[in-house]
Amino acid sequence: MISDLTRFLHNLRFRTKITLGMTCMLVFCGIGIGLTLSSMSSEALLEEGKKRGKAMTTGLAFRLTEPLLAMDFLQMSNLLDNAQRQYDDILYVFLTDAGANVLSHTFAGGFPTDLLRISDTRSEGRPLLLDTEQGRVYDFSAPITLGNNTLGTVRLGLSRSAIDAQIKRQQMASLVSTLAVVGVGVMLSLWFARTITHRLNRLRSSVEEIVTGNLDVHAGTTLAKYCWQIMNCHRQECPAYGDKQRRCWYLAGTLCPNCQVGEYPFKMESCRQCPVFRHNFGDELQDLAEAFDAMAVTVKNHIEELTERERTIARQQGILKTIVNVTPDFITLQDRDLRYTFAGKSFCDYFGLTEADVIGKNDFAIFSETRARSNTEEDREILATGKPLAKEVSIKRAGEHHWFHVVKVPVHDQDGSIMGILLTARDITMLKKFQEQLIQSQKLEDLGRLAGGVAHEINTPLGIILGYTQLLMDDIHDQELLDGLKTIEKQTKVCRKIVADLLGYSRQSQSVVGEVAINESLQEVINLVEHAFFLNRIKVVFLPDTAVTTLHGDKERLRQVWLNLLNNAADAIGQDGLIIVRSRLLPDTQRLEVSVADTGKGVAQHHLGKLFDPFFTTKQVGKGTGLGLSVSIGIIKDHGGTITALSPPPPPFFPDDLPKPKNGGPGTVFIVELPQTRSTETVSPPSISTT
Amino acid sequence: MTSRLLLSLLLVASLLLVGCSEDEPPITVSLEKRQEISIQPRQPAITYAYLPQYSHTESFQRHHQLVEYLSEATGLPVRQVFPDTFDHHLSMFGQGEIDVSFSNPFIYVKLANRYGARAMARIIEKNGRAEFRGQIIARRDNDRITSLADCRGKSWVAVDPSSAGGYLFPLGHFFDHGLRLDDFREVVFAGGRQENVILGVYAGLHDIGSIREGSLQVVAGKIDLGQLKVIDHSPWYPGWVYAHSPRLSADTVDLIRNALLALDYQNNAQHRAILDAANFIGFVPSDDQDFDRIRTLSQKVGLNLD
Repeated sequence: MISDLTRFLHNLRFRTKITLGMTCMLVFCGIGIGLTLSSMSSEALLEEGKKRGKAMTTGLAFRLTEPLLAMDFLQMSNLLDNAQRQYDDILYVFLTDAGANVLSHTFAGGFPTDLLRISDTRSEGRPLLLDTEQGRVYDFSAPITLGNNTLGTVRLGLSRSAIDAQIKRQQMASLVSTLAVVGVGVMLSLWFARTITHRLNRLRSSVEEIVTGNLDVHAGTTLAKYCWQIMNCHRQECPAYGDKQRRCWYLAGTLCPNCQVGEYPFKMESCRQCPVFRHNFGDELQDLAEAFDAMAVTVKNHIEELTERERTIARQQGILKTIVNVTPDFITLQDRDLRYTFAGKSFCDYFGLTEADVIGKNDFAIFSETRARSNTEEDREILATGKPLAKEVSIKRAGEHHWFHVVKVPVHDQDGSIMGILLTARDITMLKKFQEQLIQSQKLEDLGRLAGGVAHEINTPLGIILGYTQLLMDDIHDQELLDGLKTIEKQTKVCRKIVADLLGYSRQSQSVVGEVAINESLQEVINLVEHAFFLNRIKVVFLPDTAVTTLHGDKERLRQVWLNLLNNAADAIGQDGLIIVRSRLLPDTQRLEVSVADTGKGVAQHHLGKLFDPFFTTKQVGKGTGLGLSVSIGIIKDHGGTITALSPPPPPFFPDDLPKPKNGGPGTVFIVELPQTRSTETVSPPSISTT
Repeated sequence: MTSRLLLSLLLVASLLLVGCSEDEPPITVSLEKRQEISIQPRQPAITYAYLPQYSHTESFQRHHQLVEYLSEATGLPVRQVFPDTFDHHLSMFGQGEIDVSFSNPFIYVKLANRYGARAMARIIEKNGRAEFRGQIIARRDNDRITSLADCRGKSWVAVDPSSAGGYLFPLGHFFDHGLRLDDFREVVFAGGRQENVILGVYAGLHDIGSIREGSLQVVAGKIDLGQLKVIDHSPWYPGWVYAHSPRLSADTVDLIRNALLALDYQNNAQHRAILDAANFIGFVPSDDQDFDRIRTLSQKVGLNLD
């Protein structure tokens, strides 16, 4: 019930609430005051009646003293009768002597004996309230005394109904006047509520406009007299002159001579002394409305500033986010509790996580316990000492080892305290490989230089040994000695071949540069080895591309490359196999490609990268020196080309229409890519010329 | 919400209670049950009357203690009665309604001559004398009256034609100084009340007034006595007298006389209080011959004593 009433009152309009509230207060106060005043006046009337009865009784007692002493019954009776006739509300008067004998009374037809039997418990001067057949009666009693002697008693009966009637008239008058005052008050409250709510509605409308996005509101009342009219200045360049909706003290930059520089409310101290303020300032609601208008304008300006700042920040955030997401480096930010507050996209992608998996977590929730513990110890050290950390770590993930250069720096707050740790990590795996290759290249260069030097020094004695051996063979006819010399000649030639290869590897052999027809060069070499391969049932198929013409290079050295590749293919096959030699013009790059594919045993993947290293061979001991491919890659590099090896060969290099031997291996293909035309200058001259 | 509602209800209830205060419970009395009442006849008693030179109230207050004393001292029932005027006093004495009369010597002479009253005792005034005299007063600002001779042609208010100090003595005094009743513009009487004479002069209604000496003190608290002046005093005459009716037995008279004479102002505090109230300090024995001077004076001024 109470809740329903509360809801009902809550749902009333404010104007109704004000009217209802003020009406209730007026009624409440009116009734309260009316009842109080009525009660007080009733009490006063009652007291007045009692005082009147007491006064009459006392006066009568005084006047009866002499007749009582003289026992003048006529005078007694006259006094009593006169007293009763004087007022209509006096019902009776009677006089008793000291012995309570009735000496005189105003009753006609006997004396009511009950009046003498009343137990007189009244206090001094207070009447007894009697309930008689003629209504309620105040019975007053006054003794007739002289000195200490009581001569008799006068009693007077005053009708209460006359007093009650007077009280009722007064109460009715109070009620009517109260209702009249309340009625007038209600009318005034209606007018007051309408005045208040009208202005509040203006405010509410302004608020609704603001909620819908319109900040150009005007909740205050229009000025009756503008400031320039009051000040008689007519300065149209003043902002207050152009703004007719707001009071001038809400505007900054007004041109009044006494106006302080600044904005509302900082300029109010001077404005309060201004005649414009004294003329135009309003009540609290007016102040509220004007302050509201000023607030709307201020908010509008601030919103515009904020919008512009937001755009700038969003733009910068977008750039920053793009940079952070695009950069391959890992970027993370941890707070003092080592929980991640930011993680870059590269970091998340590398570890297969989403941003939600990382933000708010620590290392133990992301990494293995061992790594997390290690990271946490490092991080705590950084938080404790404030010293950055840089290190290189190797992380194995998805079967691959990656090297990262990790930098951890403490992030300081504005007060200088450390608020977290910024981690950046860059994948330096390629750099590591390049470093290894650089070291390897340096080793090979040193080795080649050493080998070249040694070969150059050994080549001459070997020529002398071979020359003298051949001279001896001409002079010696002993077959046994001759066989021995032949063996020396053969092994010496083998040594020369090795020395020649070493010189070739070190590019210290003689170079003859000219136009080389690639297909013809290939065919010549195939013709050279075809018969020997045939003996081991190895078939060589040549697929020349007629678009391949010539290139500028060293014919002999290129033939050495082709021969080396064919020999390697035959060695990989052993017996019963197929070698496919193909030339092809790469149309996009205007480079030509020579590939030699075999059906041999193939090359393991982890050996593919080492095939071109000097002295690396997969052949049995004594079957190869490991210098062939090293020399070949050197020759091809000198011609501006590259050699790559793939095992097994992809389909384009081994057409499906060609029959593959039944017991063949996965096979390998060496692909030589050369520029089709090449200037002479691009061919590197031998660093060491042969002698 | 509940507490605020409760507070409001309490406020309303308090206001309603203020407006609904109730009287004391009435006593049920029937005015219809009537009975005729007859006045109880008074018990026989010796009636005592004080010549009404003051109001009955003053008379009562002065003498009721003495009346009670006499009743106690004599063992006889004594009741004070209140004649309205001097003539009423005389007629009541004549009708047997007064057994003991306390009156001035002029009235006594009349009572003695008319009804055979006999003196028992005279009072001793506070000045210690068993005599008293009259005073002639006027307003102090009345510069036309400074001596007895100035009273000629003036308005004279006296207490009563039967008043001794208030009329007879001043009249004799005027006679002695050559003034007759015709010499006054008017002679009016105040109904036997000394106070009325004083107030009449004080109010300016009359030029001069005659009162017994000591009466001014009776109105000392009511008017400014400084506004009045005493023009002259009459000669001293025998004072107020207690007389008894010839109907009383000699024993009763003796009892009363002895009781009066037994009052000791000096040594008995109770008696002093009685006598203070009566405004005198004692009694001296008296008989009828003490008042021959009054009879002579009356004859001189031409007043009838019978």
